[in-house]
Amino acid sequence: MTASPPDKPRARGTARRATQSRLRRRVGAAARMIAALALVGSVYAAFVPGGAAQGAPAPSSDVSAGKTLFDTSCITCHGANAQGVAGRGPSLIGVGDASVEFQVSTGRMPAAGQSAQEIEKQPVFDETQAQQIGAYIQSLGGGPQLPEGNNLSSGGNIAQGGDLFRVNCSSCHAFGGGGGALSSGKFAPTLANATDRTIYAAMLSGPQNMPVFGDNQISPQEKRDIIAYIQNLKSDPAPGGLSIGRVGPVAEGLVIFLVGIVVLLFAMLWIAGKS
Amino acid sequence: MTHSGLHAAEADNEEFDHTDPRLSRFDLVKEGARRDGVQLVHYAPRFPVPGTRREARVVRAVGLLFFLSGLFATAFVVAYIWWPWRYQDGSNLSKLYTPVLGVSLGLSLACLGLGFVAWGKKLLPEEIAVQDRHDGGSPADEKKLTGETMLNMVDELGIKRRPLLAKTALLGMLPLGAVAVAPLIGGLIKNPHKPDILLHTGWDPSLNSGHPIAVCREDGTKIRPADVSIGGQMTVFPGIFNTDGDFVGASNDFADSPTLLIHLRQDDAQVLRSNLVHVPINEQNTWGNFVAYSKICTHAGCPASLYEQQTNRLLCPCHQSQFNILDNARPIFGPATRRLPMLPLTVADDGFFYAKSDYQVPVGPGFWERP
Amino acid sequence: MKKPKIDLAALPGEQATAIDDRYQIATPLRRLFNKVFPDHWSFLLGEIALYSFIVLLLTGTFLALFFDPSMEEVKYNGSYVPLQGITMSRAYETTLNLSFDVRGGLVMRQMHHWAALLFMAAIVVHMLRVFFTGAFRKPRELNWIIGISLFWLGFTEGFAGYSLPDDALSGTGLRIADAIMLSIPVVGSWVTTSLFGGEFPGMVILPRLYILHVFLLPGIILALIVVHLALLVKQKHTQWPGPGRTEHNVVGIRMFPAFSVKAGGFFMIVFAMIALLAGLFQINPIWLFGPYKASVVSAGSQPDWYVMFLDGSTRLMPAWEFRGSFFGYGHYTLPPLFWPTVVLPGLLTVLPMIYPFLEARFTKDKQAHHLLQRPRDVPTRTSLGAMAVTFYLVLLLSGGNDVIADKFDISLNAMTWMGRIGLLILPPLAYWVTHRVCLGLQQHDREVLAHGIETGIIKRLPDGRFVEVHQPLAEPDEHGHIQLEYEGWVVPKKMNRVGALKPTVRGFFRPVEDHPEEQEIEAAKREEITSGPRR
Repeated sequence: MTASPPDKPRARGTARRATQSRLRRRVGAAARMIAALALVGSVYAAFVPGGAAQGAPAPSSDVSAGKTLFDTSCITCHGANAQGVAGRGPSLIGVGDASVEFQVSTGRMPAAGQSAQEIEKQPVFDETQAQQIGAYIQSLGGGPQLPEGNNLSSGGNIAQGGDLFRVNCSSCHAFGGGGGALSSGKFAPTLANATDRTIYAAMLSGPQNMPVFGDNQISPQEKRDIIAYIQNLKSDPAPGGLSIGRVGPVAEGLVIFLVGIVVLLFAMLWIAGKS
Repeated sequence: MTHSGLHAAEADNEEFDHTDPRLSRFDLVKEGARRDGVQLVHYAPRFPVPGTRREARVVRAVGLLFFLSGLFATAFVVAYIWWPWRYQDGSNLSKLYTPVLGVSLGLSLACLGLGFVAWGKKLLPEEIAVQDRHDGGSPADEKKLTGETMLNMVDELGIKRRPLLAKTALLGMLPLGAVAVAPLIGGLIKNPHKPDILLHTGWDPSLNSGHPIAVCREDGTKIRPADVSIGGQMTVFPGIFNTDGDFVGASNDFADSPTLLIHLRQDDAQVLRSNLVHVPINEQNTWGNFVAYSKICTHAGCPASLYEQQTNRLLCPCHQSQFNILDNARPIFGPATRRLPMLPLTVADDGFFYAKSDYQVPVGPGFWERP
Repeated sequence: MKKPKIDLAALPGEQATAIDDRYQIATPLRRLFNKVFPDHWSFLLGEIALYSFIVLLLTGTFLALFFDPSMEEVKYNGSYVPLQGITMSRAYETTLNLSFDVRGGLVMRQMHHWAALLFMAAIVVHMLRVFFTGAFRKPRELNWIIGISLFWLGFTEGFAGYSLPDDALSGTGLRIADAIMLSIPVVGSWVTTSLFGGEFPGMVILPRLYILHVFLLPGIILALIVVHLALLVKQKHTQWPGPGRTEHNVVGIRMFPAFSVKAGGFFMIVFAMIALLAGLFQINPIWLFGPYKASVVSAGSQPDWYVMFLDGSTRLMPAWEFRGSFFGYGHYTLPPLFWPTVVLPGLLTVLPMIYPFLEARFTKDKQAHHLLQRPRDVPTRTSLGAMAVTFYLVLLLSGGNDVIADKFDISLNAMTWMGRIGLLILPPLAYWVTHRVCLGLQQHDREVLAHGIETGIIKRLPDGRFVEVHQPLAEPDEHGHIQLEYEGWVVPKKMNRVGALKPTVRGFFRPVEDHPEEQEIEAAKREEITSGPRR
């Protein structure tokens, strides 16, 4: 787990060890900011900033387009200038475009209603619109930011990513990436439909109950490794027949009774039946 | 009924002349069966007249099944040799190698099996055979004879007359039994308390000549507070290196040491700090908004690592025990009875995390003599 | 040189004589050929287990040629890209190589695993058949005990096999096994360290499990199967009651050729089922799980299905830990794991083993029985069985409760509570329901015997009442009563069972047309050929 050279200008500054103190200052600033927001009392806690805020401001046309979208669709809950509305929605200052893009492009936002866990739905906004809203939120208070491009797995080392996936991700999303149950009705969603950007954004922003994996913990290169592994996991067909949901022994047990024993029962009835 | 078929047959042998030329083969079969206590009460060929259309149809069907069996078996061999078999990443023919082998073998065997069963069911003669069961014990005289023979054995050995022999034989053989068990027990047995492996983990400073053990990532690099984002968690390992300088803290040699380092939000950390009094030994164990709990579940030892950053729970995926991070990892649901131990955490002058000491309570599942 | 003259036609006869001169096998061989087996589908369940075991031996031997249970660390260098360069144990590496770098290795691995699941499934279903039909009664108590031992041996054998690949899932299972052994009072820590050669996981556990898995346990299982079958041959098979069937005979078909052709065919079918499962359904994709590391786990971690009920009992167990001092000296802990994983399996071994003796004691029935009982005729036993099955099913489902919670959007905590409550409430409920159903079925049998089959024809009586016409099963006596004893076997309840309706059309794809002239000839011939007294 060594620092890797950046492969895109936007991901500059990832040579972690060299910039430790600067990053630390930034994280500290972010932490103080959250604390302040918490004191204001409107932290609904759906979005938690983490990692290092980074990057140049997005083009202003995106920002203004994003503001328009925000003002029509998000303002009811998140308030004017995304400062939050007590009891409805949290402030989005400082959550960064990673969080916005994750929530909007997977259809979790705009929310259908208030619940403990927003679920994936048909997105209301397309990719571009999601990125525009993201740019607007980014312009308000910074925060974790996604790299550009739709392919965030190129150059990823699958084997390295697999190792990281099993230590950091599989405990909730399961070895096969099919997701799993959490306490009291919450769950880790399946990664079956997750795009590179969604996975990257989720790691950066830690949506809902998912922990934040900031760039200091899992470097941008390592994130690419993980995404490369997940995408390979999905695109690599099972070599041993149907993968029966990749849920392991539960599905296998069902198959042995519903297929194995049932078929053999019919065979037995035929064998011993009177001709 | 008490006579076996053999005895009955011997008695009847005089009347049955197996050389009698008038007897058909089936007569001999019936006689054989009779001697075995079997009576064929119903026996009829399925197709008494050769060459009927129904018989031909059945024969054709069975023949076809056998033929198909050979065909599928050939397919198996052909696929085994020529189908691209070595694993290749992505969608390609090699992914179908196992299915092709399994299905061709399965179909071949299925055709063979179906063919045989159909043969047995549709072509073999209909029969109802009745066999005497010869149930119950042996005849009384047999029992008596065997029993007396056994008692005679005891007399012959003279155990009653010479009780010393029995006693000394027993005395001699008991240690011999111990000899049989001793190597097994002696070879396997291992004292769990010398060294006291259940009470110490890789965080014990004695593994680092008394210095605190560094908190490391999976690759052995040390960790600064800034490396874990707020609302983030990291699986960390004791910074132990072998004599070659390779990092071994994350290896299975220290299976009891994986620890979850959590960076709490400010208000959550506040709650935790106020709760530390519930477990006095934990009071000095957090550092800033950071807390580190053993990843090894106190129930059955699985990694309890499903961290819910908003509800501040840790869930163990094996038996669903849930622990409240904000209250010294108190078990709040499921079968776990004890809190996850908290690692005494500190940040040294070099800016990296260290464990001030080993865990203050044993890590992992409970056991009888657990202090 | 004089050419030896060989009469090919006489050769088999000469050989047979030569063999018999030496071994005198004519009589025992013929007795074997003539052995009569009853013909009923439910008697084939045990055969599935037997045949699966043979497949296990065959495929297992193949796997053993390539597998190395060593726990030495190596770097993977095989063809599976997503693991290349990863450090792992030799055991895991060789399992990966078996799957990806040995021709046909994966299909063998999958056949082995599916055969193991089928072996255990067949044992359980066979055991249920034996229990519910009362086949365990005197004189077969010992074979019942051997059968239960075979279940537990297969259970251990399967768990050992599941642990061998040293993937993250099997390592998690092993870790739980370690915790289970730790929970045993007094000796737990000694047992654990002795077995693992020190601290978990150590370096010796896989080689030890390997020798258990490929030598010791299969040897014991094989020996017990031999005894199981020898006792079956010696005591002869049980049979269902029916015309001509008594406690003192066996009605069926002879072993050769009829039974053996069918059994051989069934072996092929079971083998085929295993091969088809291995080709169609991926099982235990260890390459997704990665090598075992103490810090790695996956959501939805389960053991194979036959261990799952113990995982379920562990999940449902309330958090009860006993701490106390022993004669005021020292502190001792009894972990909650002890009850569902040590005490429960102990009970589940002992209770079924002594059940035949308990039943004989309570029913005061010391007779030998060779005729089976219909479950409805023994409501108490059937209900007890239903209760046990319900108990087992709740545990089994709870073993996968996280997967159920995830797939059906149920709260995980709610699933646990449903399991806990269900475990207490459902078994007695099952007892009560089964008892009522048994009695109801019994009553209906007696009703049909006394009044005849319900024909579905409604008749209006002169006084305006409507009654259903019943078809009596026998001629009523002078009092108008039908005196038919219940024979412990199926009572016909539909008119077409007594020949009132034409049999259904024969033939699968198109109806098989019957040729009347053929039938006439056949009927005439059969009459001639049929031998022995007819009943």
